[in-house]
Order: sequence, then C-alpha cells, then structure tokens
Amino acid sequence: MARVRMSMEDYDYLFKIVLIGNAGVGKTCLVRRFTQGLFPPGQGATIGVDFMIKTVEIKGEKVKIWDTAGQERFRSITQSYYRSANALILTYDITCEDSFRCLPEWLREIEQYANNQVVTILVGNKIDLAEKREVHRQRAEDFADSQSMLYLETSAKESDNVEKLFLDLACELIREAKQNKLDNNDNDRPMPGEGKTISYLNCCSLT
Amino acid sequence: MADSSALAAKRYDSGSLSSVSMETISTLTELEDLEKVYQQLCVEEKEVEAQLDRLVGQEGAIHTKMLALQRMGPNLQLIGGDASQLSGMITFTCSLAENVSQKVRQLDLAKTRLYNVIQRADDILDLKFCTDGVQTALRNEDYEQAAAHIHRYLSLDQSVIELSRQGEESSAVDASLVLLQEAEQKLKVIVAEKLDEAVAAVDLAQVERFFKIFPLLGLHQQGLARFGQYLCSQLASKAEENLLLATGGDLGEKRALMIFADTLTLLLEGIARVIETHQPIVETYYGPGHLYILITHLQQECDRQAQKIVDKFILQRGYHNKFQIVQSSMMKSAPGERIEPRELDPVLAEVTLMNARAELYLRFLRRRIMADFEVGDAQSITQEHQQNVEKLLKHCALSTTMQELIGYYIPMEEYYMRESVNKAVAMDSYEKGQLTSIMVDDCFYIVKKCISRALSSSSIDCLCAMINHANSLLESDFREVLCNKLRQGFPATTLQDIQRGVSSAVSLMQSSLQQGKFNTMGIESTENAKAAFLVTLNNVEVCSENITTLKRNLENDCTKLFSQGFGSGEQAKIESCLSDLISTSTKFKDLLQEGLTELNTTAIKPQVKPWISSFLSISHNIEEEEFNDYEANDPWVQQLIVNLEQLMAEFKVALSPVIYDTLTSLMTSLISIEMEKTVLKCSFSRLGGLQFDKELRSLVAYLTTVTTWTIRDKFARLTQMATILNLERVTEILDYWGPNSGPLTWRLTPAEVRQVLALRNDFRSEDIKRLRL
Ligand SMILES: Nc1nc2c(ncn2[C@@H]2O[C@H](COP(=O)(O)OP(=O)(O)OP(=O)(O)O)[C@@H](O)[C@H]2O)c(=O)[nH]1
Ligand SMILES: [Mg+2]
Repeated sequence: MARVRMSMEDYDYLFKIVLIGNAGVGKTCLVRRFTQGLFPPGQGATIGVDFMIKTVEIKGEKVKIWDTAGQERFRSITQSYYRSANALILTYDITCEDSFRCLPEWLREIEQYANNQVVTILVGNKIDLAEKREVHRQRAEDFADSQSMLYLETSAKESDNVEKLFLDLACELIREAKQNKLDNNDNDRPMPGEGKTISYLNCCSLT
Repeated sequence: MADSSALAAKRYDSGSLSSVSMETISTLTELEDLEKVYQQLCVEEKEVEAQLDRLVGQEGAIHTKMLALQRMGPNLQLIGGDASQLSGMITFTCSLAENVSQKVRQLDLAKTRLYNVIQRADDILDLKFCTDGVQTALRNEDYEQAAAHIHRYLSLDQSVIELSRQGEESSAVDASLVLLQEAEQKLKVIVAEKLDEAVAAVDLAQVERFFKIFPLLGLHQQGLARFGQYLCSQLASKAEENLLLATGGDLGEKRALMIFADTLTLLLEGIARVIETHQPIVETYYGPGHLYILITHLQQECDRQAQKIVDKFILQRGYHNKFQIVQSSMMKSAPGERIEPRELDPVLAEVTLMNARAELYLRFLRRRIMADFEVGDAQSITQEHQQNVEKLLKHCALSTTMQELIGYYIPMEEYYMRESVNKAVAMDSYEKGQLTSIMVDDCFYIVKKCISRALSSSSIDCLCAMINHANSLLESDFREVLCNKLRQGFPATTLQDIQRGVSSAVSLMQSSLQQGKFNTMGIESTENAKAAFLVTLNNVEVCSENITTLKRNLENDCTKLFSQGFGSGEQAKIESCLSDLISTSTKFKDLLQEGLTELNTTAIKPQVKPWISSFLSISHNIEEEEFNDYEANDPWVQQLIVNLEQLMAEFKVALSPVIYDTLTSLMTSLISIEMEKTVLKCSFSRLGGLQFDKELRSLVAYLTTVTTWTIRDKFARLTQMATILNLERVTEILDYWGPNSGPLTWRLTPAEVRQVLALRNDFRSEDIKRLRL
C-alpha cells in the first residue's frame, strides 16, 4: 500500500491529492477556495508546484493538496508528483474547448507516471460562466464515463461543488484505504515484499 | 360567628374612626353582643387616650421649631435679592465675552489672509525671479540652475498663479508665465538632446549630469527610461563581447565546460554592479521607489542577453538533442540511441549553475527593490507594488527561460540517476569478509550526487522533483532488486550436507550427471547463494539506514539554503517531499524483517527442531543412578549448545551485528516454543524434573551470552514449567500460587499448571484434580 501512510505523526491517513490540467483552468482558485475559503482576485499563473495541508471534516482526515502549474515548461516538475498521489483532480475549463481537447494527453501522462491505484476525478470548472460554455455537460460526462472517471462541475468563483469535490474524494479515498487494509494481500499490483505472504522460492528441496 | 364577620364588614363600610359604627350599635338587640361591642369600645377609648397623650407631649418641640423658622424669614429675602443680582452680572459678562471672541476670530481671519497675500507676493516675486533666472541660466548654459528655476515654478501653487493673473499685475504676470513656459519647453528639449548626445558619446559624466536634471522638470519616467537605455546599451555591448569570447575563443578545457554558466554569471554580475553603482543617484535625485522603474528597463536587456546565452548554450551543448535521446530511451525499453550517463555530467552541472546564478541575481533584485520602496515608507509598499515586483521577477524572460532549462534538466538528471544505479546494480560484487556489496554504496553515492546537483540549482521545485524521483527509484526499483535477490532464498545449510555426508552429495551430483543435466547448484554455488542472501540482508539494512541519513543531511543542507531567504511555503514543500523518504526507509526495514523471518524458517527451524525433539529420546524418568550418570555424561543440552554455536557461527560472521542479533532473537523464540511443545510430551520423575531444570538453566545461560535481547522473558513459561516439575509434592504449588506468588507473575494458566503437574509420574491425578488454583 504505497499510497497510505499509517499512523504517521498524528493522523491515521494522509492522502495526497494532486491537481492537474491546462494552464488557466482554475486549479489554484479551486484549491484556495477550498483551503482558504476565498476567490483570489488576479490569481497569477502557478510556478512549479504549491502545496497545502488541510484537515477534512470527515473524522479529521488530513489531505495534502498539491497544486501544480499547467504551463508546459513545468511539466517535468509536476510529473514527479504523480507516483505518490492517491488522487488526481484532472481539471478543465468548460468555457475553453481547448482545455477539454487536451484531456487525452493528460490521461496519457497519468497512465505513464501515476500508480495504477490512483483515483482520478474529472472536473469541469467555471460553471458560473454558463453563457460562455463551450463544452456540454453531456459530452464531458460521456468522456468521463468512457475513461471510468468520476465527473463533477464546479465554480471556484461561486464556490459551487468545491467543498463537495474534495469531500467526495476524501470519502472515496478513505473507503479504498479501508478496503485495502482489509485485503492488502490481494493487491492488484502486489508490491514486492509488501504483503505478508510473499512466498520465496523454496530452495530446501534438496533435503 | 357569621355575625361578627358581618360586623367587621360594616365597620369598614361606615368609615368611622371607631371600629364599630353607630348604626351597627343601634341594630344590636342581644345583650351579649352589646357587651362585646362595649368592651371593644372601651379598649378603643383607652388607645385613643394614649395617643392623645403622646401628641400633647410633642407640642413643646413643635413650638420651638416654629420659632426658629420665623427667625429665618428675613434672611431668605436677602438671599433672593443677591441671587438675581448675580444672574444679571453673568449675563453681562457673557455678552462681553462673545463680543471679544468675535473680534479675535476676525483678527485670525485677517492674519491668514495676510499670510496668503505675503505668500502670493513671494510667489509673484519668485515667478519674476525665476523668469529672469531661467533666461540667464539658459544663456549661460547653466542647465542645472535653469532646471532649478523651472522646478521652483512648477512647485508654485497653480491656483495662486491663476489668481495673480486676475490682479492688477496681470499683464506682467502673464508675460512672465509665457516666458517661463517657453523656457520650460526649451529646457526639456535641450536636456533630452544633451542626454542623447551624451549617451551617443558614451560620456557617463554628462549622462549622469542630464539624468539628474530630468526629475527637476517633472520628467521622472522619461529620465529613467533614457538612462536605462544608456545602461542597457552598455550592458549589451559588454555581453556580446563576452559571448563572442565564450563561443569563439580558445578556452582552457576546464573553463570550457562551464563557459555558458560563466558568461551568464558575467552578465548578471554586471547588471548587479550597475544597479549598485547607480542606486544612490536614483535615490537622491528621483526619490525612493524609482529604482524599480530603472530595474524594469535593465531587466529587458538582461532578458535579451540571457536568452542569447541560453540559445548558444542549447545549440553548442546539444541540450535539446540530449534531452530527446534521454526521453525516448526512458519511454521505451527497446534499445535505440542511448546516451552514457557520464556524458551528461558536464551539461547537468552547467545548467544547475546557470539556474543558481539566475536565482541569486533575482533575489538580489528583490532585496534592492523592496529596500528602495521601504526607504520611502514601509507602509507605502502596497499590494500593487508587491504584485508588480512578483510579476517582474517571476515572469521575466530570464525566469521563464531558466524554468524551461530546468524543465529539461529534471528528466535528464532522473535518467542519469536511473542509468547509473542500473549500472551499479549490474556490476555489483562483494569481497569476502565484507558485510555489504558495493552496489549499495554506489547507489547511494549516485542518488546523493544527483540530489546535491539539483540542490545546487537553488530551485526548490527542481530539488523537490529530484527528491521525488530518488524516492521512487529507491522505493520501487532498487528495493525490487533487493527483493528479487531475497526471493532466491537461502539454500540448505552445509551442516545438513555434512550430516548427510559428502558422499551423498557426490551421489546426488552423479545422479544428475546420469540424467544428463548437471545440477549447477553444487556445493560451491550453494555457498555463493547463501552469501548472496546474507549480503542482501545486510544491504537492505544499510539502505534503510542510508535513506534516513540522506534525509537528515538534506534537511541540514536545506536549512542553509533557507537562511538565504525563501518563503515558508517552499520550506514546507521540501519537508513534505523529505518525509516521504522516511516511509521508504521503513519499507526497507519491513523487507529486512521478512528476509530474516524467511531465513529463520528455511535455515534455522529445520535444524533446530530435530535437535530439540531429540530431548524426547533422553529419558527424564530417572533415578539416582541415572541422574549421576547424566551428571558425568551430559546427555543432551551440551550437544544442543554446540550445535547452535555451529549453526549461528556462519551467520555471526556474515551478518551485521544488528541483523545477527535480531536473527538470534528469532531463534531463541523458536527454541522456547519448540522446547515447550517437546517438554509437554515427556514424563518426569522427581530427579528427571531436577535434571530438566539443570538443562534449562544451562541453555538459558548460554543463550544470554549470544544476544543482547533479554532471554529470561522468552523463557519465562519454560522456567515456570521447570519449577513445577521440580516440586516435592503436588500441594507445594500452592506455596507459589495466588497470594503466595510474591514477585512471580505466572505465565501459565491453571489448566497448564495442572497439565505440567501431570507430567510428573509420581504425582497422583486425584491430588492434581483436587488442587484449587
Ligand atoms: N469565472 C470564473 N473564473 C475563474 C474560476 N476559476 C478560476 N477562474 C479564473 O481563471 C483564471 C486562472 O485561474 P488559476 O486558478 O490561476 O488557473 P490555474 O489552473 O491555476 O493556472 P496555472 O497555475 O497556470 O496552471 C484566473 O483569472 C481566475 O480568476 C471560476 O470558477 N469562475
Ligand atoms: Mg495555478
């Protein structure tokens, strides 16, 4: 269970959530809305990665949220965070067709760098700009379905669904962690030496 | 009774003084009632008389008071008169005061007006003076003086000037104004021309001279822009010269490796020096807060020149090309064009140095700009200022170019790390007598080197990314290597071979040969496989230690970095990435534990178990003679100790002390469990119990010498069993049980105690059953 650190310091689980997606889709605004309860005016593009820890209101679970830069030149920095992520929030901007069209490319990145137990949720942000919508909800839902991802539409500005996004995700992660704890023997990808039932090749057959 | 209450009601209705009214009395007919009323009236009479007496007694005192009051009458009249007089006086004073203060107010007003008049007169005089002065100064080409006059004129209150034009002197003032405005325009043109000339002539003294005049004419922005232009052209020519030297000239081999970093350093240091040199003049003549504007001009040139250097760097070093090779060879395992990690060393070092220089320079700019804002007024550093500075520093082309370089650097460094570690793993070897193989040292040397290089870039994000990569390399790939080695398992022990006799080993080989396939697992390769397993265990432990050390050292290194001023957010980022290393270290510890358990089950358990169960073949149902015989010729425990010693000797030399100790601990646990099982299968006489007690003591004494863990606890149950087997009578147990147990904590349940008691063939089962435990 590479993804769950048990009883480290004062929390049982510490989940890592990483936000990814094109530049300007509103990742930083989502994080700041959730962690600080505000919509930052004139939010500048993120440089590299930013991170914060927030206690989620479910049994005091803590989540570490990594907000990454969408700009191409930060890609290699961002990629180094995928592997240890428990959840990825793949964000696009519903008023920007382009940010939607880039999603397959992002999925390829996830495929390549993330661990395969990662929970991915697709988020369409900026629903307050309904009149400028370029990507229909149904289309996004179908796409998310086809990739078996969860889908949610949010507005960081109006605080729509932002809380729900993170809480749902935390719930899902807690559920999976508990599940994993129960049957950590039949991991879909057994990490060598991690389970208790690693059977070494028995070399004592000479006797 | 009903009547009396009716009486009472009547009494209140009548309202008379007496409690009984006349009408009531006249209606009374019964004597008894009359008497009752009479009596009542008599009582009332007495009361009234007493009251009257009291009132009469008070007469004297009241009289005296009346007299005193009469005497006060005239005095009161006097007071009345005085009071109305006072009131009149106050009214008068009040109106007087109001009169006076009104006059004072008028005076005040007059005074301010007078001041204004004087001011205006002064201004008009100044205006005249300026008009004359400017002309003279211009004639004399004394531009400083002329500018000073214009400055004086510009600082005059414009409304005053307007007013003056409406006065009697209006025509004269108008004329002056026109002259002044003309002079102002003229001066502006001249100064601009002169500055351009000076710039063209590269005459720093003249440039500075006219640069100082601009703010006097209210042309701060223009002055800074022109001066910035001048400085930029200076920087540009110097930078071009340096770049030419870098790419053309014949350089020493050592310098050549870092030439682009050096060239960039020269550029940035040059700009820093320019800023340092000219900061005082800007601050003095333009006032605080203007350095930022000059720096924005300089930064444009910096961006241009840095870009040129970086472009050349990319071209000459084949930076993008190298990146592409690296990327494609990381994407697919198929052998395409590959690059030797060693070949990347210089370029990785150079690019991190370049970034470090840029970071240093940008920190310098931030410090200078903020200090300059603060000189003005610490409070005046508005959010807008902050944002402007952030924008300048974070989004300038220098920053973005460097971010791009670092963006390519990270995958290349990751490749370097992975490839080098793979090599180290492939070339692994160990020398006899060494606990670990060279692969571990090599691997950590490489990881440290890569992270240190990332750290030397001064980019926190870059450092974090490399920590992440290193962590994932160690946690997955490198651990996998060790894990696979452990999976090979620990082969059967030599001791077993010896026991079976070498001949059987030979026959085994012969049979293999006859079957046409030679078992490569000969005695020698068995030895190798064993050593490989044990070395791997040591490796795993050292890895766990090394990761912890790596984390600690990085923390120290970062503290140094943070003392140079990074935000707390940056620090938290690093801490978070570093904390992941701890869980990786724990995973190695877990792996070690599993390996040891495996070793215990495959190499120790199969040996120890028969040695212990041989206890069964030694009768403990003995009498004096046999007991003495055992005394002379130890039947079991000494051989067991010798066997254990032999078994563990191999591990003692091959494992690190810590691992060996843990293994011994596993072994002792195993022995205690097996012993317990075995003993429960035996039967004991009184002396047999004593014999067992002796044997157990020897065993515990021996095991205590071989491990630092406490043995006594593990053998507590067995020791208690020995105590029970040593009892004289069944009931003697009660001397040690329950309230009599003293400091002894029983590890055996009552049922187990009975079970052990039953092992003694001389104890009767009825006695045991009867025991109350
Ligand atoms: N109307 C509206 N605007 C939003 C919303 N969320 C973000 N924005 C705006 O979109 C712009 C970009 O937002 P950021 O949060 O900086 O985007 P980002 O994804 O973090 O961008 P990078 O850091 O460059 O990857 C800002 O101007 C925000 O004000 C939203 O829900 N509604
Ligand atoms: Mg952002």
